[in-house]
Amino acid sequence: MHGARDFWKRFSRNKGAVVGLAILVLVLATAIFGPLLFPTSPWEMTGAPFQRPFDPEFPLGTDTLGRDVLSGIVHGARVSLLIGFVATLVAVIVGVILGALAGYYGGIIDDLLMRFTEFFQTIPSFVFAVVLVAIFTPSIASIVAAIAIVSWPAVARLVRGEFLTLRTREFVQASVVLGQPARHIIFVEILPNAVSPIIVAGSLMVATAILTESSLSFLGLGDPNLMSWGFMIGAARTVIRTAWWMSFFPGLAILLTVLALNLVGEGLNDALNPRLSREGR
Amino acid sequence: MQRLQFIAQRVLKGVVVLLGIIVLNFVLVRLAPGDPATVMAGEAGAADELFLQQLRKEFGLDKPLHEQLVVYVKNVVTLDLGFSYRQQRPVSDLLMERAPATLLLTGAAFVLSLVVGVALGVFASMLVGRWSDSLITVFALFFYATPIFWVGLMGVLLFSVTLGWLPSFGMYTVGANLKGAALAFDVSRHLVLPALTLALFHMAVYARMTRASMLEMKDQDFVRTARAKGLPESRIVRVHILRNAVLPVITIAGVKAGYLIGGSIVVETVFAWPGIGRLAFEAVLQRDYNVLLGVFFLTSFMVIAFNLITDVVYSLIDPRIELGA
Amino acid sequence: MALLSVRNLKVALPVNADRAFAVKDISFDLAPGEILCIVGESGSGKSLTAAAIMRLLPRSVTIAGGSIELEGRDLASLTEADMRTWRGHRLAMIFQEPMTALNPLMRAGAQIEEILEVHTDLSAAARRERVLELMRAVNLPTPELLRDAYPFRLSGGQRQRVMIAMALALDPALLIADEPTTALDVTTQKQILALIKQIQRRRNMGVLFITHDFGVVAEIADRVAVMQHGEIVEIGCTADVLNAPRHPYTQKLIAAVPRLEPRKTVTDTSPLLTARRVAKTFRTGGGLFTKKRVVPAVKDVDLTIGAGETLGVVGESGSGKSTLGRLLIRLIAADGGEVSFGGADLLNASAARLRALRPQVQMIFQDPYASLNPRRKVGQIIADGMLAHGMPQGNAFARASELLGLVGLDAGAMDRYPHEFSGGQRQRIGIARALALNPKLLIADEPVSALDVSVQAQVLDLLNDIRRRFNLSMLFITHDLRVAAQVSDRIAVMRLGEIVETGPTEQIFLRPQHPYTMELLDAVPGKTWIAPTVFARA
Repeated sequence: MHGARDFWKRFSRNKGAVVGLAILVLVLATAIFGPLLFPTSPWEMTGAPFQRPFDPEFPLGTDTLGRDVLSGIVHGARVSLLIGFVATLVAVIVGVILGALAGYYGGIIDDLLMRFTEFFQTIPSFVFAVVLVAIFTPSIASIVAAIAIVSWPAVARLVRGEFLTLRTREFVQASVVLGQPARHIIFVEILPNAVSPIIVAGSLMVATAILTESSLSFLGLGDPNLMSWGFMIGAARTVIRTAWWMSFFPGLAILLTVLALNLVGEGLNDALNPRLSREGR
Repeated sequence: MQRLQFIAQRVLKGVVVLLGIIVLNFVLVRLAPGDPATVMAGEAGAADELFLQQLRKEFGLDKPLHEQLVVYVKNVVTLDLGFSYRQQRPVSDLLMERAPATLLLTGAAFVLSLVVGVALGVFASMLVGRWSDSLITVFALFFYATPIFWVGLMGVLLFSVTLGWLPSFGMYTVGANLKGAALAFDVSRHLVLPALTLALFHMAVYARMTRASMLEMKDQDFVRTARAKGLPESRIVRVHILRNAVLPVITIAGVKAGYLIGGSIVVETVFAWPGIGRLAFEAVLQRDYNVLLGVFFLTSFMVIAFNLITDVVYSLIDPRIELGA
Repeated sequence: MALLSVRNLKVALPVNADRAFAVKDISFDLAPGEILCIVGESGSGKSLTAAAIMRLLPRSVTIAGGSIELEGRDLASLTEADMRTWRGHRLAMIFQEPMTALNPLMRAGAQIEEILEVHTDLSAAARRERVLELMRAVNLPTPELLRDAYPFRLSGGQRQRVMIAMALALDPALLIADEPTTALDVTTQKQILALIKQIQRRRNMGVLFITHDFGVVAEIADRVAVMQHGEIVEIGCTADVLNAPRHPYTQKLIAAVPRLEPRKTVTDTSPLLTARRVAKTFRTGGGLFTKKRVVPAVKDVDLTIGAGETLGVVGESGSGKSTLGRLLIRLIAADGGEVSFGGADLLNASAARLRALRPQVQMIFQDPYASLNPRRKVGQIIADGMLAHGMPQGNAFARASELLGLVGLDAGAMDRYPHEFSGGQRQRIGIARALALNPKLLIADEPVSALDVSVQAQVLDLLNDIRRRFNLSMLFITHDLRVAAQVSDRIAVMRLGEIVETGPTEQIFLRPQHPYTMELLDAVPGKTWIAPTVFARA
């Protein structure tokens, strides 16, 4: 409602967010165009094993089987971002639907849905994700599903809270009094006013999803056909004493990506919820 | 009285959740691709046809689902979590053997992250805008974004490989056969790196939360009242801001205990810490589903216990507890 | 010598604020044993003046000039440590929101005791004795019990008494009270005002009392200063300023105060809405894990609204008056009873039938900031109802634009968002939205209580005008008896979910029957003051 320029003004006031956005754009570009620059499969053994980094041919060295670490990182970007975004999207959709139903209708529906949500929140989420991926055999689909299953409750609770407060707001009551159908009230009156916190939570959730994905593949629960950052570190774990670069660089990639997402999330928060941000403090 | 009632409610809730998890476990095995008997036996190798027949009979896998469920719940409630055919031992034995190490690790990490995290957050909130605040903020941002296993590996690289200060794996020095205080010291030396690794992420979380919560409390009306009373700033922070600010952090800490236990899988894998996390990793490698589901059950139980403890602590701090629930 | 002497005080706002100074160049004196009221509308700078004297300004707001002398010492020049000693010892302050002004995690007695602990070297036993003494001095019942109670257990009035006890702990020479009764019900307000006055007389304390309410001024002030846009436009004896205001702004404000004169009932008309035994009990919890709570909000209420008639519903907070309004319009489902509206049963109508009936009963809300969807344009907000009931888009928007004119806004407002309008303008938009469906009955829930007095008068005029023009019936819910006297043909007095008395406005005001009605009327601040209607030329 305030226009794109206002939004950018508030977003860019947060310097960290701008840095985060720059890093994120870089990672995105890597994910999209990187594989064009490194057309050979990252699984291919292109050099001698255990080559140290900062070498003109292998700037980040090679791993225990002589695979190019840089190529692995470039191809891994695609997997990490894809899983992070898709899992979050699924979680947000499920969470918004359940949260909206609970918050809008209240009463028994709310009670049942919230008990259900609380149950999923009590379960140790990472252990649950490990169990799910292990039982349903690791694949990109099972990983996305597992991360979405452990992530949606947070969204559901957030959305329910928003709906509960917005539903009692006078402009929503005015809409009821005018005789508007539930569909109009949910989609036109309430949801647009709940979008900002959902976007902010979503952007932070992508970061968490990427961390979870990396932990899963570190434990050997990644999709066996796809190169991922967590897998690279997991594979290099036992040679950490002799070959630090094999785990150092992929970890740095995760760190930067997740950091960038968190920074962008904070910037979005400042820009979308100006009253809640640090302004005027 | 009201507190007892509150705690009783929470215990009851925990029991219900636990039952739910048992059912979930049961459902997972049935939903898994392939024959439940195969799943129970653990995929690789152990499953010959005769053995599977035996399993089906033992667990009534040929009977209707609801009867199977009753059998399963009865088993779990009597602490029979199945048998690990890979390790040839009952799952509950394996878990009991490994649980103390994990409790030690997660307990230490919990206390460390909460105490240091809250302290950092309070410190930062008192120096808003100064360099030490910025430093803490950057620290929190950094560790909030770092994968735990990578922190662990880098810690090994720095403190064990390069500096040689701390041991990098296990819980004891192998073959040393220490006793008493020497043993305790040896274990603590081994504990430092894993506990710190596990704690750093949550330390960052609590530091950020505490800082935000402190800043929010600073603007509350009752703090203005305290100023109007002419109280010294140190007392205002200690008596009025701190207690109110820490309350929500404690609530969250209980909820986050689950993440701490989840993180122990990764940390125990990195440091070869002989706990249930490591057990879970081995189970994943060997596709030993009975053990994995056992770990899932036990960790869920631990989370519920953690939540209960924080609820009790919370009810001791907040007089309004009876209003909530 | 003056107790407090403020000279050329300037308070600067942060750079990005809409104006540079909140307080520009004000001067006044306060004698010992005197109550000086500073009265003004929102944004006049009255509260920041109080905060500046106490040196409790928000971080980004600063004193930019002038002096504040208390007993001959310039407070602005004291070190922070010295100022702390002065706070409590020589000057103390109480605030508007008793609900949030006390630390929720600390017992009431401990919060009073704390001030003695820090500022005196009394023994623990002596401190406890003094706390009880203070609690008795502010008329708190059973001080021995309340001392150990947490704030959430106390009522609003009790909390404000605890605040006052705290302020009195060290016998300060000056008490600053920033709207201390605004958040309280009228009957409680009356008691707190009486308490402040009593204590002030007994201790010969100076009181600086900030308020927006001329009734309160009439009740308590010895002298009054009127503030507008950060300046004192008029200062003088209460009687002079209230009865013969000289500055045009003061005259405008006083003219806007609703007179406590009951309006004459217009006509006896046929009933439009008749409610029988309408009841609602709120139940929360009662699930597996939560304790059940039962709050009877409306108990078997009967009422009638005639065609073209305005029924005022008055009561204090918790009386159930808002719930009643929402029951009648079915924003809340009633537990029982019936509401017959032009032959239809509103309470028991099916969803489809209800939808068809909706246009005939509309609502105006209290909070001008919450009652319009911030993400929709004003034109859409007004046209929405007509579109929902099948009017073609073109007609609906044409009608919306017409309605804007009717409520005194220009058609350019159509394409703007609510946040671009002031509170009064938003309330007009809300009225236009309610009128869009040509209702027969308007339910107005405290429609002017969030507005400044001058804006309030304009909105009341508008409502009155519309009502006459369209022969609308109205259920007007308010806590303010002055407003009720002005707008209502008949009045129903509610207390604890029941209507205790109902009758023509004149009868309620001049010959009240129920003791509670009498109590309410007696509690109206400044009830003996009849605001002048004609002013001498300045």
